[in-house]
Amino acid sequence: MTADTSQSASVTAAPVIRTAGLTMDYGRVVALHDLTVEIDAGVTGLVGANGAGKSTLIKILLGLQTPTSGTAQVLGHDIATADDEIRRVIGYMPEHDCLPPDVNASEFVVHLARMSGLPAAAARERAADILRLVGLDEERYRLLGGYSTGMKQRAKLAQALVHDPALVFLDEPTNGLDPASRLEMLSLVRRIGSDFGIPVLVTSHLLGELEKISDHVVILDGGHLLRSSATSQFLDATGSLLVEVLGGAAERDLLGNALAAAGLSCRPRGQLVTIDPPPDGLDVHRLVRDTVADLELALVRIQADQGHLEDVFTQGAHHV
Amino acid sequence: MSEGYPGPRPAGVIHDIGYRRYTGPRESNATIAASLYLTGLRHAFGIGRSGRSKVLPIVLGAFALLPAVILIGVLAVTGINKPLVSYAGYTNQIQVLISIFAAAQAPVLFSRDLRSRSIVLYLARPLSPAPLALVRWASLTTACVLFMLVPQLVLLAGGLIADLDVSHELSQFVRSLPLTLLLATMLAGITGLIASYALRRGFAVVGSILALVVLNTGVSIVQAIADETGSPRVGELAGLFSPWSLVNGLASELDAGVRVITPPDGAAMVALYLIVAVAIVGGTLALLVARFRKAGR
Repeated sequence: MTADTSQSASVTAAPVIRTAGLTMDYGRVVALHDLTVEIDAGVTGLVGANGAGKSTLIKILLGLQTPTSGTAQVLGHDIATADDEIRRVIGYMPEHDCLPPDVNASEFVVHLARMSGLPAAAARERAADILRLVGLDEERYRLLGGYSTGMKQRAKLAQALVHDPALVFLDEPTNGLDPASRLEMLSLVRRIGSDFGIPVLVTSHLLGELEKISDHVVILDGGHLLRSSATSQFLDATGSLLVEVLGGAAERDLLGNALAAAGLSCRPRGQLVTIDPPPDGLDVHRLVRDTVADLELALVRIQADQGHLEDVFTQGAHHV
Repeated sequence: MSEGYPGPRPAGVIHDIGYRRYTGPRESNATIAASLYLTGLRHAFGIGRSGRSKVLPIVLGAFALLPAVILIGVLAVTGINKPLVSYAGYTNQIQVLISIFAAAQAPVLFSRDLRSRSIVLYLARPLSPAPLALVRWASLTTACVLFMLVPQLVLLAGGLIADLDVSHELSQFVRSLPLTLLLATMLAGITGLIASYALRRGFAVVGSILALVVLNTGVSIVQAIADETGSPRVGELAGLFSPWSLVNGLASELDAGVRVITPPDGAAMVALYLIVAVAIVGGTLALLVARFRKAGR
C-alpha cells in the first residue's frame, strides 16, 4: 500500500491545502487552535478523536464557516475571497446522513452534478459512470430511503466525485460500515488518490485504517496539530525486536529475565518480549538464539517491531 | 424499500473500471441557479417527482380552473356581454385553493433539503446560501403566479371570445397583474419560511394554513365588525395583518374589481398597505437566507 506513495505525492509541487494560524473559536470551545499545516497531493489522512476539529477544518476549507483568525488556501484559492471557486472544484462527502429518502440515486447524483456546473448530458453520463464505480450500478434506480448504510455511504461518495473534482474531502467515509464494506471503501479511497489522481483529504477517528491507505497523516488533538508527516515515517522500523517463544507467560518471563541478565533492555508485550534497540556491535539475533537454546525453549519468531499511528498518542506531541 | 428483490442478494461490489476525467465545459453560477430554479418550479407541480406528489397540484389546479370554465360557459350560453367577475376578484374567490397550494408545495422546496440535511451537499457546491434560498423562493413564487394566472388567462380568453369589451377586459387584467405578483411573493415568502422551520410537512402545511386562511378569516371578521360599529379605521388597520387583505385593499385602490368591506382610505393608508406588503416579502426573504446560512454550519 505504501509502495506507490512517492509517485502520487510528486504529481504537483505546490501544496493542495495550506493553512496559516487557523483558529476557530466557538466561544464555549476552541475547535481549532493556531493550525498551520500544508497538505500535498495523494491521500492525506486527517486523524483525531471525535471533537478534535476535523469536521470544523473541512467546513472552513469549504467556506461554510469563517475562521476566527488565520488564513487558508485551497488549490491556490483563498478561502476568504474565492470560496465559490473552491466549492466548484471540490467534492465533499459529509459525515452524517444527507440523502433525501424520496429520490433514487441516479436522479439525485445527476441533480447534484448539475448543481456543480456540469451540463445536463455530461451530468447524466458521469452520474452513471460514478455510480457504477462506487458499486451502485444495480441499485441506482432504487429510492435512497431504502438504502443500507453501506449503500448510502457509496451514494454520498458518488455525489462527491460526479463533477470530477480537483480535490475531495471525505469525512469519516467508513462510519457505520461492516468490516468487509469498510475494506472496500478504504481501497476505493486509496484508488481515488492513486488511480484517479484526485488528491484526497480523508478523516477518521480510527488511526489504524488510515495508515494503510494514506500517504501523509495529519493528526489533530483538541484543535491542536499533534503531528503532520508522511505515513511511512510513522511506520518506520523502530529498531526494536519482538521475540515469541512457545508456551505462556511463564516461558515468556523466563526468556525476558535471561535476556535482561545478558544486558538487554526488554519488556513483556502480550505473549511477546520486546527488546529495545541494542547497543551497537551486539548481535542480538545470535544472543536471542543462544539464550532460547540454553533455556530449552521453542523459538516461534524474531521480527523487527514496526511503529503504528497510535504510538503518536502514547509518545505525545514531541515530533511536531 | 418495497421493490421486492427475489431472494437474498449479494452485497454490492465495487467494480474495477477506469475513472474518466471530465474536461468539458462547466457552467456559471447563474446557469446553475437557473437550473435549480427550473427544477424547483417543476417539483412545485409534482413534475419529476413521484406520481403521488402530482395528485394535489392537479386536483387543486382543476378546482381553481373549474369556476372560470363554468363562467365562460355561462357567458357563451346566455350571451351576456358584461363580465361576471373581475380577474383580481376571481383570485380572491379561490383564495383558499391558492393558500392550500402554497402551503402544500412550500415543504417540497423548503423542508426536504433541510430535513434530510442534503442542504449540506448543495452548500458544498458553488451556490452560496443566499442565492440558494432566493432561487427556492423564486421557484415557489413562480409556481404561485402560474397557479393564479392560468385561470385569469382562461377568463380573459373566454371573455374575449364571448365579445366582452376588449379594452375594459385588458385594463382589468393588467391591473390585476401586479397584485398577483405581489401576492405570490408574499405567499411564497410566508409559506417558505414556515416550511423551512417546521421541517415536517404536516406541521408546515397546518402552520401555513393558519397564517394564510385562518388569519385572513379573522381579519375579515374584524373588518365586518369595524364597519358595523362605524369605526372603519380599525378595519383598515386589521387589513395589514394578512397578505390577502393587504392585496385586496390595494386592489380596491387600483379599482381592480375586488369588493373590500373597509378599503384603505387615504394615500397614507394605501402607502402603509404597500409598505407592509413589501416588508413582509423582505422580512421573510431575510429570514429564509439566515435559515439556509445556519444550515451549513
